[in-house]
Amino acid sequence: MKHFYILIVSLFSVCLLQAQDYKFGKVSKEEVLEKEHPKYKEANAAVLFRKHLVYYDIRKNTGLTLVTVVHERIKIYNKEGLDWANKTITGYQNGSESEEVSAIKGYTYNIVDGKLVEEKLKRNGVFKEETNKYKLKTKFTMPAVSEGSVIEYTYTIRSPFVTSIDDVPLQFEIPVNRLEAEIKIPEFFGFRMHYNPKSPIVFPIDKTKESFTYNYSQKTRTTGRTVQTDYKQRSLDYLLDFYKFQKDDIPPLKKEVYVDYLQNYAAYLRWELQYTKFPNSPIESFASTWEDVAKSIYNDAGLKQEVNRTGFFDEDLDELLAGYKDNAEKLAKIFMYVKSKIAWNDFVGFQAESGTRTAYKDEKGNTGDINLLLVSMLRYAGFNANPVLVSTKSHGIPIFPTRNGFNYVIAAVENEDNILLLDATDKNAAIGELPARAMNWQGRIIREDGTSGWVSLMPNAKSQNTTMLNMQFDDNMVLKGKSVRDLSGLHAKEFRDRYVGLAEKDYLKILEEDKGNIVVSGLDISKEEAIGENIRQTYNFELRDEMEEINGKIYLKPMVFAGLHENPFKGEDRNYPIFFDFPTSNDKIINILIPDGYKVESLPESAIVNLKEGAGVFKFVATLNGKFLRVESSLDMNDMVYIAQDYKALKNFYAEMVNKHSEAIVLSKS
Amino acid sequence: MRKILLFLFVVIQIVPSLIFGQDYAISSIEPNLLSNANSVVRNQSIEISVLSKDKMRVKTKRVVTVFNEYGEQHIGAYDFYDDHSKIKSQEAIVYNSKGKEIEKIKKRDFQDRSLIGSNTLYSDNRLSYLSYTIKDYPITIAYESEIETNSTIFIQSWNPLENYNLSVEKSSYKLINPNAIPFRFEERNLEGLELKKQNTGAGLNYEVRNISAVKSEVFSPNLSTYAPRVLVALNEFALVGVEGKASNWKELGKWQYEYLLKEKMELPRETILKLNELTSNAVSNREKAEIIYNYVQENTRYISVQLGIGGWEPMLAKEVDELGYGDCKALTNYTKALLESQGIPSYYTVVYGGDKNNIDPEFASMQGNHVILNLPLAEEDIWLECTSQTNPFNYLGDFTDDRKVLKITEDGGEIISTPNYATAANLRESFVEIQLDESGGFLAEITRKNHGIPYGDIYSIESLKNDHQKIYYRENWGHLRELQFDKIAFENDRDSIVFTEKLKIKGAKLAMQAGNRLLVPVNFLKAKTFNLPRNESRKHPLVIERGKTYKDHFQFTLPAGFKVESIPEPITIENEYGKLIMETSIVEEDETKLDVKRILILEEGNWKSSAYNSYREFMNQIKSYTNQKAVLVSN
Repeated sequence: MKHFYILIVSLFSVCLLQAQDYKFGKVSKEEVLEKEHPKYKEANAAVLFRKHLVYYDIRKNTGLTLVTVVHERIKIYNKEGLDWANKTITGYQNGSESEEVSAIKGYTYNIVDGKLVEEKLKRNGVFKEETNKYKLKTKFTMPAVSEGSVIEYTYTIRSPFVTSIDDVPLQFEIPVNRLEAEIKIPEFFGFRMHYNPKSPIVFPIDKTKESFTYNYSQKTRTTGRTVQTDYKQRSLDYLLDFYKFQKDDIPPLKKEVYVDYLQNYAAYLRWELQYTKFPNSPIESFASTWEDVAKSIYNDAGLKQEVNRTGFFDEDLDELLAGYKDNAEKLAKIFMYVKSKIAWNDFVGFQAESGTRTAYKDEKGNTGDINLLLVSMLRYAGFNANPVLVSTKSHGIPIFPTRNGFNYVIAAVENEDNILLLDATDKNAAIGELPARAMNWQGRIIREDGTSGWVSLMPNAKSQNTTMLNMQFDDNMVLKGKSVRDLSGLHAKEFRDRYVGLAEKDYLKILEEDKGNIVVSGLDISKEEAIGENIRQTYNFELRDEMEEINGKIYLKPMVFAGLHENPFKGEDRNYPIFFDFPTSNDKIINILIPDGYKVESLPESAIVNLKEGAGVFKFVATLNGKFLRVESSLDMNDMVYIAQDYKALKNFYAEMVNKHSEAIVLSKS
Repeated sequence: MRKILLFLFVVIQIVPSLIFGQDYAISSIEPNLLSNANSVVRNQSIEISVLSKDKMRVKTKRVVTVFNEYGEQHIGAYDFYDDHSKIKSQEAIVYNSKGKEIEKIKKRDFQDRSLIGSNTLYSDNRLSYLSYTIKDYPITIAYESEIETNSTIFIQSWNPLENYNLSVEKSSYKLINPNAIPFRFEERNLEGLELKKQNTGAGLNYEVRNISAVKSEVFSPNLSTYAPRVLVALNEFALVGVEGKASNWKELGKWQYEYLLKEKMELPRETILKLNELTSNAVSNREKAEIIYNYVQENTRYISVQLGIGGWEPMLAKEVDELGYGDCKALTNYTKALLESQGIPSYYTVVYGGDKNNIDPEFASMQGNHVILNLPLAEEDIWLECTSQTNPFNYLGDFTDDRKVLKITEDGGEIISTPNYATAANLRESFVEIQLDESGGFLAEITRKNHGIPYGDIYSIESLKNDHQKIYYRENWGHLRELQFDKIAFENDRDSIVFTEKLKIKGAKLAMQAGNRLLVPVNFLKAKTFNLPRNESRKHPLVIERGKTYKDHFQFTLPAGFKVESIPEPITIENEYGKLIMETSIVEEDETKLDVKRILILEEGNWKSSAYNSYREFMNQIKSYTNQKAVLVSN
């Protein structure tokens, strides 16, 4: 037994000998000499060590302060890694209080003439910047940094905003060799810890309780004829929730070209405040279920008042609706009225920022102002209308029930058999259509009695995009024809978002772009401004350089400019999901009239390609009927989200489509 | 009496609106100002009062009618400020399309933010701007402000037509100079305008009316080269309190040298000793300079820090030496100091980085946005970009090439030019061996060398992650399907400034199968062309800023059992815009190889507007000819 004990001790000491010393200032020569990351050779830099401490500081005069201490040691391998020597710490402020960054201390380590040399970060390398009313930035840049340098710094953030603990990052775009985090939360705060469900990395975390005693002296004064001051030694005993985390070798967050919000996929710890329980005060509970969240938003954030506020628009609305009996007509009238009357100021939020009454008067407001006003007008007109809380795409998907999980509101009209979603902040959205920003995850509808439920924000119908080309060619190999394109639903909305308001000659330039040697004429676009209706675009074209005559044979790719000639998926593989904007059905029909004197020698073969159990279908059919050659290509994409594992299938699916669209028909002169 | 009173009343009512007001209804805009315009400057007046050498007040009034969201950028209801210039007043009034006032915005309701971009560490520049939600177009916004500054070295020029798709109903400019401080001014492109002017030694007065909007055209000269302007500068001035005197480039350069640059080059002794050692074996100044440039690249990095005399003064060389970073001024001054320590003279040179834009040789004033280093050696002028950690020695690239710059010496300023990369020097040369298979797929081994401007366009690919390199090639060679990479390697020869790409790739369906034939596109890599929109009424000259030369050699090996049935005819097109030569031939007796040689030269040049269509035709010809195919047939 004794031997065994010694063995353990000696093993342990061997480990110690080999382990790095992570104490501040104990940077080793080996760390500076290292040329590349032993495991991730492509890394431009690495976090050799990071320690993140969070605790509460209790002082009698100032009360509680939330303190975060960060210590980072970073290795820079090459010039691309130099950016890691610049650090920005963002602090928040409101009118009266602000987060303070202090105790910044930093050194850069280099090898000069074979010796380890340190360079201190001086005050002139630290800058404070008031970015705007809410943000204060502290920036510093490390001195004497070059390829190979190791930098090490520590800083402290003292925050008066004690009920919100910032995310504790566990992953970066560079590898982390060792990460330690300690979070100590006194029992006055009931926080729940969450991992990022979008990150595949979940590490075990150690949670214990510790007791703590806070000693302080209390001064009491009695006022009377003689003032008496009395000092008393007091103490407060309380428990701490102590979260402790240690992890070696955390892989870098992989950067991919087509991912917008990479940080959404990083591993982190997030802190949800569930209640506060201060001494001698009752427990104050914060939302813990989505039902509670919805209720608290409805009652406390003013939504209830706003959606029931009437009086200021009654006469206008009565006048607007006079003579209309049909509900669908009334709904359309009110929706149009709100869209045209009130301009969106580009601010999102579920609360009415200026209040519906003021917004109505000023004719501008945020999403809350506009859509809550829409709800109250619809209610006034007798509709079963309710607000729906939404989280926008850039806001992400909340990982626990919290009021911060929502940042947007739309309106819904419920009938017996369906529910219509409306967003009056988007001029081009029809009834039932949402702007891309709001088509995220699911929405929470809050009904008049305060109850709530989930509604899907995804479009329930596929949007159509159909192109038909009717063309023929002459002996000079010039293709002449007519293009008819029909757009419905979100395809029509997308067209309006992009092109309405452009001068015709500017649009023509866009239309001719990437179509080869083309001349477009006779352009006509109908229903362009009739929001919600289908758009039809027609034009005539003359197209050159598409037909090739080689050795008496004529080759033509019949899809011409309507085909997909390049695979949009360029990446080798993928770590993150792929999002499409909306379900779509894309049809292309090409009719070619073969002139007398020509003969079709061969046609591309027809094909059907399926993607993932019907999530996508591509059909390609080429037929010849006398002089009439017809090529039909249809692409149906039914799902909007594909997981990373579907990437290869998706890429191959599109590759097949590109192949079919690039096949030629072969003609000869008869 | 009653009549008179009534008359007076009417006069009082009307007169102010005639003098101070204007009819801002949309209906009162001349129709010729509407075409191509996203917005119209209804009335702009700039009044600059030079109160003394170090005090200046600028009153701006600017009324803009905006027709659509693209026109919003021209509202211009903002001003910059910093520790040395204050916004004394700021106000905006919004009018609807009928010209009726609908809202007034006071200074306190303007938004404030710092002007620090993500790449800037520190700068004290801030912006105070109007944030206003526009409900209906058209709308008219009138903005008024007053600024006071102690830097009279920058006098705002008069630049009434400041952007494309913007027309001008009226714009006026006034310089008030009660103390008759000597000043210079220069008029540009004022011919043919509805112009009034009245200039005296104590000031300037300009007014212009009715300038129609200009539409931007691809490959056309920059608007600033043909838009009307009046440039103004004081001969006795101050920059944040530092006074100066200058009336030409020589004097302004001298002043910059004396007040901004001099005595900033001291270096720690150890650094000099280290350099002595590093350069001890170097035989020529050029060799020493290369060692020093390399030293700077290895030991410093670029960080934008706008501090010191309005952001115009470099950090001390010894500070850069200690901290290892600096902005363009600091790093250039540091490199200059290091060179000087080895007895090599060099010159701090001010330039406009980015699009080709000259420091105005005719008019001396504070210009430029970047600094580089000029190093005249006996054999040639060397140019150094000191903010780059990766550029080769004496490589400027398209950021600062071929333009007029201000070289600052202790004797004064001098306007000189940076080198031009000639068409023949901008060479991209490839040799590709392609093995075809019977189904149309291929294996290819590519060697491509990039010289001149193409070098600068490509060399940073080396530092991309492998995945991103693949994506780069897939995007650039979109016509090669199902592209896979067996090898991606690079050789960056920084001495002769050649970047070589070496790839082994494979892909599918390059050649089209038609029965027992294969149609092979002989241009394995596409020829570079520009996408030019149709334009039957081109207004502006055609400018191609840099010429390029592309030489490609594709050698195809036929799949076993195939022979050549036909090859494309040779092609030669040659004109003032460039040249295309293509030749396909069958090599070796057994006819298993096809040789394709292509030379494409796109010249630099400046042609009149009517050339646009023939240039476009040239591009279409290149595209069309480079679609050619050879036909292979199986035995």
